[in-house]
Amino acid sequence: MPELRELYDAILNGDHKTSAAVTREAIDAGIEPMELVSGYMVPAMDEVGKRFECEDYFIPELLLSARAMKAALELLRPLLAASGAKSAGRVVIGTVKGDLHDIGKNIVGAMLEGGGFEVIDLGADVAPQKFIAAIKERNPQLICLSALLTVTMPSMKTTIEAFKEAGVRDGVKVIVGGAPVTAEFAREIGADGFGENATAAVALARQLLQAA
Amino acid sequence: MNGRERILASIQGQPTGRLPLMPITMMFAADQIGARYLDYVTDYRVLAEGQMRTAEKFGFDYVSAISDPAREPADLGAAIEFFPDQPPAVIEDRALLADKTRLAALRVPDPLAGRRMSDRVHGVALLKQRAGGDLLVEGWVEGPCAEAADLRGINTLMVDFYDDPAFVDDLFEFTVAMELEFAKAQIQAGADIIGVGDAAASLVGPKFYQGHVWAYEKKLIQGIHDLGAKVRLHICGNTRRILEGMGRTGADIVDLDYLAPVAAARAAMGPRQVLLGNLEPVGVLRNGSPEIVRDTVAACHRDAGENYIAGAGCEVCRDTPEANLRALCEYAHVSR
Repeated sequence: MPELRELYDAILNGDHKTSAAVTREAIDAGIEPMELVSGYMVPAMDEVGKRFECEDYFIPELLLSARAMKAALELLRPLLAASGAKSAGRVVIGTVKGDLHDIGKNIVGAMLEGGGFEVIDLGADVAPQKFIAAIKERNPQLICLSALLTVTMPSMKTTIEAFKEAGVRDGVKVIVGGAPVTAEFAREIGADGFGENATAAVALARQLLQAA
Repeated sequence: MNGRERILASIQGQPTGRLPLMPITMMFAADQIGARYLDYVTDYRVLAEGQMRTAEKFGFDYVSAISDPAREPADLGAAIEFFPDQPPAVIEDRALLADKTRLAALRVPDPLAGRRMSDRVHGVALLKQRAGGDLLVEGWVEGPCAEAADLRGINTLMVDFYDDPAFVDDLFEFTVAMELEFAKAQIQAGADIIGVGDAAASLVGPKFYQGHVWAYEKKLIQGIHDLGAKVRLHICGNTRRILEGMGRTGADIVDLDYLAPVAAARAAMGPRQVLLGNLEPVGVLRNGSPEIVRDTVAACHRDAGENYIAGAGCEVCRDTPEANLRALCEYAHVSR
């Protein structure tokens, strides 16, 4: 019987080899995949988020923990799908058209995944039509738009307007984030919320999807 | 006292008459002359025209050849995407050093070979010619962490700090050698000061900043001093946890982004360090009012005390109301 606390510790310490090994042992021992996710992986990533917020962890530690979490999740994903287990919600995330910066988006995506969400990452420089296609094909509840540059922030507005024109805006919640983005800007462009950082984005996602 | 003399006096701890003024403008300067940003970053004559006209209009004490971080990577052969009216960007999923074994074969490019680095060198020379000694002329290079992030891919570099720290050091060693060659060419073209932009350094936390980044920043800054120029160190982002180290790099001017309080920087670096900044570029300078801008720069000045240069926390955004930028400049023009 594997010591499951080691999974929590491996993710917190960014040890992807141990997180994968413990997960394999747990699967072999017949432990329910959802127990691993909600009992150890989500709490570990919550703790990572807390340590990041209080400046105990920085970007290298956060990415390392995300890698360890993903190593475990890759092994569990087929089992979760087969069992019909429900995620906290399905999210489509991307950096908007014209912006190639993706580290902030990657961190938010990883923290959402660590928070139990199913995350579909469209990458950087994503055109509105690509978001719309993902909404139609994957049926997400939440869209996360990222931008690092003030000059690409207008692409967030363009994207949301394209959602309206395509008739898909009312079926999803939209949150925005990135260094120059403000809550005021989010309101102006008709987003449902603004995540100041990755942990705030996860909290907002949970709040929006619970209310929906 | 002209602008050049004022900034140099400030660096030497001598009286400046009034506050020196050094806001970073790039897209804002291009817009001032109605130029597309693509032309600003690819034609040094456009950059020089934008800088001169902006400095004259707002009463800056300097002009700068800063434009984008993709000049060195472009000359090394990295994949770059150009946009009509915004800064070019390195394409991270085709990073030059995605395979880190390629570092061994990488050679420092000739900054005068007629490519993007040369364009900046020509820009410095033209700015020197047009400023005529009245304004300080600033060249620009990337810091070791920012340049390494552009070559390796920032997501990968962050993990490299744990997975392969020796590679990180080797990469930093290469970037410092390259940036010193680039700085040398700009100094020989007339740069009085070299801006060192090390944006990614704010992401790594104090452990890796002290353990890896700091020594290479210091080496780069010392090298620029040895070449006869002053140094402005600018690290974008939240630098609160690395302020003390930034103050020990030897940079003549530490240019603070808005997330690091001026008071904390003063406490960490002592009274003699020249501090620059640090109005929030979006929330205050772009979205605020002239009164808010004036109050905020006054608060920065109060927290810094002596040895202070007025400026925004980072680049002045392109759609900043002119009245707001004027409020910042007018404060510097009448304050001691």
